[in-house]
Amino acid sequence: MAARAGRCCRAGLSCGALLSPALLSPAVLSRAPATPRWGRAAFSSAPAVSGREGPQAREGSVRRRGRTLQFVRSAAPPRTERMAVDQDWSSVYPTAAAFKPASVPLPIRMGYPVKGGVPPPKEGNLELIKIPNFLHLTPPAIKKHCAALKDFCTEWPSALDSDEKCEQHFPIEIETVDYVSSGTSIRNPKARVVTLRVKLSSLNLDDHAKKKLIKLVGERYCQETDVLTITTDRCPLRRQNYDYSMHLLTVLYHESWKTEKWESEKSEEDMEEYVWENSHSQKNALDTLLRIKASENVSNVTKEELLASEVVKNYRNSVIALKNEGETESNISQYKESVKKLLNIQA
Amino acid sequence: MAARRVAGGCWQRALCLGRRCRLPGGRESYRSSSSTSALGKTVDNSQVTQEEIVLPRRKTWDKLAVLQALASTVNRDPTAAHYMFQDDPFLMPRNAANARLYSLSKESGRNAAKYIIKNFPQYFDKTFAEPNVPCLMPESLTPQTEGVSEGALRERIHLRLVKESVDMFDQLLQAGTPVSLETTNSLLDLLCFYGGGEPTPQKEQEEKEGLEEPEVNASEQKAPKRQFQRGSQSSGPKWRENNHAERIFKVMPERNAHSYCTMIRGMVKHEAYSKAYDMYIDLLNERHKADVHTFNALIRAVPYLKERFPERWELAKEFLTHMAQQKVQPTLLTFNSVLKSLRRCGGVGRAVSLSVLKEMEALDIEPSLASYDHLLSMFYKGADPQSSDIISEVLNEVEKRSFTAQDPDDANFFNTAMQVCCDLKDIKLAYQLNRALEKGDNWKFLDVDRLNGYWSKFFSLLCMMEQIEVVLKWYKEMSSSLFYPSPKNILDLLQALDAANQLEVIPSVWEDVKQLGFSRIPDVLEEFLSLMSRDQHPSEIQLAFAKCAEDIKAVHEPAGPGQVPLEWTGSALGHVVVLFSRAGRTQDAWNMMEHFQKINRIPTDKVMDEFLNCAKQTNCPDEAIKMVKLAASLGLLSSQRLKSRMEKEFELSETQKKALESIKWDGDSSDSDSDSSDSDSE
Repeated sequence: MAARAGRCCRAGLSCGALLSPALLSPAVLSRAPATPRWGRAAFSSAPAVSGREGPQAREGSVRRRGRTLQFVRSAAPPRTERMAVDQDWSSVYPTAAAFKPASVPLPIRMGYPVKGGVPPPKEGNLELIKIPNFLHLTPPAIKKHCAALKDFCTEWPSALDSDEKCEQHFPIEIETVDYVSSGTSIRNPKARVVTLRVKLSSLNLDDHAKKKLIKLVGERYCQETDVLTITTDRCPLRRQNYDYSMHLLTVLYHESWKTEKWESEKSEEDMEEYVWENSHSQKNALDTLLRIKASENVSNVTKEELLASEVVKNYRNSVIALKNEGETESNISQYKESVKKLLNIQA
Repeated sequence: MAARRVAGGCWQRALCLGRRCRLPGGRESYRSSSSTSALGKTVDNSQVTQEEIVLPRRKTWDKLAVLQALASTVNRDPTAAHYMFQDDPFLMPRNAANARLYSLSKESGRNAAKYIIKNFPQYFDKTFAEPNVPCLMPESLTPQTEGVSEGALRERIHLRLVKESVDMFDQLLQAGTPVSLETTNSLLDLLCFYGGGEPTPQKEQEEKEGLEEPEVNASEQKAPKRQFQRGSQSSGPKWRENNHAERIFKVMPERNAHSYCTMIRGMVKHEAYSKAYDMYIDLLNERHKADVHTFNALIRAVPYLKERFPERWELAKEFLTHMAQQKVQPTLLTFNSVLKSLRRCGGVGRAVSLSVLKEMEALDIEPSLASYDHLLSMFYKGADPQSSDIISEVLNEVEKRSFTAQDPDDANFFNTAMQVCCDLKDIKLAYQLNRALEKGDNWKFLDVDRLNGYWSKFFSLLCMMEQIEVVLKWYKEMSSSLFYPSPKNILDLLQALDAANQLEVIPSVWEDVKQLGFSRIPDVLEEFLSLMSRDQHPSEIQLAFAKCAEDIKAVHEPAGPGQVPLEWTGSALGHVVVLFSRAGRTQDAWNMMEHFQKINRIPTDKVMDEFLNCAKQTNCPDEAIKMVKLAASLGLLSSQRLKSRMEKEFELSETQKKALESIKWDGDSSDSDSDSSDSDSE
């Protein structure tokens, strides 16, 4: 933005440079009547300049040349010299503007240095004009802006004094983006996108519904943070997208509570995670244990007792860890220990 | 999160992160739906915490409120020029004339752009802006309706095509088609507004500006024209006998009050006052009623209808009684017109103006700045300024209120009031006025020209009445950001410095003067030089003074092609020599001394003494001898005294002594003819 304004300013400068020789040269003035349209434009500006002379305006080109020469002048000293050390900087740079070397009292250098030298100074330095600057957004300026804008803010509800409470009372988070630019259009197609975030734990779901919901949303659910993210951008307006994302959430919720007929056909391979209960592993382990007990002539040992025993629980946990978390060194060694204890093997 | 930026340069992301309450309505509906709600769990929790969450109501504000709030954080930058100018040392205006030229150039560029858009609308057919900005798009200025009909006439009137409308009206008349009263009236409106002539584009511009922004831009634009037209003393075409408006008015089959009112207003606007009065009599004879604007116009015309002051007031009163009879409610502008007319009634005006204000109060109409302006000029212009303390009453009143523009004359108030303060030499009143100006949007009443006038007067008053520290503080604050000092302001400042014995500030003032481009004004130069050379100062101040003197010397010497050097005056030359001498720059001083001979002037004794002192201090007896020689050749009486001083004070070598002796001999011999040259030069 700043860069564009800067270019504009340069254009103005060069235009002035082009104009002044044109004003000086009598050839242009004499040629003017030949081109009627521009001639009129040139003429209409003439009274503005010579109007102050009043009756002497007629005295012709000699006089005019004398006047134009008065405009040839040197530049004034930069106003940084007159600036007080404690001046109010936000008044010097109130808005975004291109870098103005005569208004910035800093010894800035920028650009490619000459060999063995330093980068060029700020005066007439294009590199400094090109880059966007934030001279108008100094921390004191932002503080002032915030203080001025405070009147437009509503008071924060006192009951919501922590993030946890906010999450608890307002579990749904909507994110939209407004775009500000220095273009001809105030519209931006990207402003219609709406992102909805909600923690699954804040929804009223049972185990089945939760698993189904996760299956339904696929990659929109983040396992680590337990957050479901719905981004909608298919409608042309933000409001429509917002409504659509709410609709999606509602539909997902109700859909996940339904249990279809075919869900009973869910087999061990379809499970989201390994469940030890009623698995092959449990059956085999119990079988083995019962036969061991039988061979040791220890009767009246029920399955329930076995399941409640420490070694079996230990074994169960290590198997679950191995299946759900993968084969890590600690898992493997834990599994080894539990198997040894289960079978009562001394090594 | 806000730090996440979209690639692609100029887009800035403003992130809006909103947490929204899931369910509309209050807590009741929230709870009742808890069994089916997706957020039942949350509801349970909130019942547990038992805390009341009060959601604040959404605030609404008007479109500009945020921008205005942000703008209120910015103050005036005392080192910068007005924001309309380029903030660049080369392009910033240096003085009032420059500022005016630059602002006019900018405006003229704008006009040129408008001209192009107006005349070549075919090239501006795309609407790039989203949403579209209609005022930036070319207006359609060519009438769409073809043929001769009343509709076509109405369209031409709407497009303000004066000549075409009149032609169309004539054609309709010849064809025998009756034109409705309404359309004829709007045609009359158009003709009376432009005084029966075709508006030139420039004039149209002026009129439009005048209509839309009475005080902000208008005079800025009008300023050059005003000077252009000063000879004719009019702002528009005069009302001509039997112009189109009168002709059409005469051929109208029926006329209503509106037709008469329009004619009266047009005639007053274009300075046909007695005709307007006759028209008003006609209106009364036809038993119509005039509207309030017509009465305002008539009251404004009063000073031109009657010669003597009491008669004028009688006539104005007559109009007012007519208003009462016709049950027309007077407005603020009515009373302002009365006051404006009373300005031209001398003592009568002073006598009755206060009762006019009372009447306003009785009708519950608050006076605008224009009313006060008229009041002040009635009481203080031409009259004995000490006569009343009405100004302080007015200022007390003004300070209490904030004003909006209601009358075109509102803009004059601050300048008039400051002029009165200056005439009364009352700094307290001036401060009070300034406070009033700074209040609210009152600053809007001053455009660039008036701003300069106002501050220039204020500054002169400050220089006259205030402590020097305060003056310098104001000077630093205002100079070149609020106004550009005039040469008179600089002279005032110098006098203030002199009075406060703060001459060491002069070099910095001189720098400003150079920037302002006043370094070629003889009065200013003379004042600077005489102040600097009057007393002896510490050496560092003298050095700074000598630098100024060097600048002044440069002005008097041919610098570049086309730069005509200023003519030396004897006193200026003497001052420069003194300044150089006191700074110990003997060689420069001698160079200046030589100029005396070139311009046929004589150095004063003081100048020569100073030079001799300097030569003594810097041990340059040669220059001293040359000076004595010069004095002798000019045949001055003091040459003898100078010579004896030299012999006493200087340690001279043999050759130098000889040279000195020879001068004496020269001086003696040339005594007789130097007398004659003396009388020549004097």
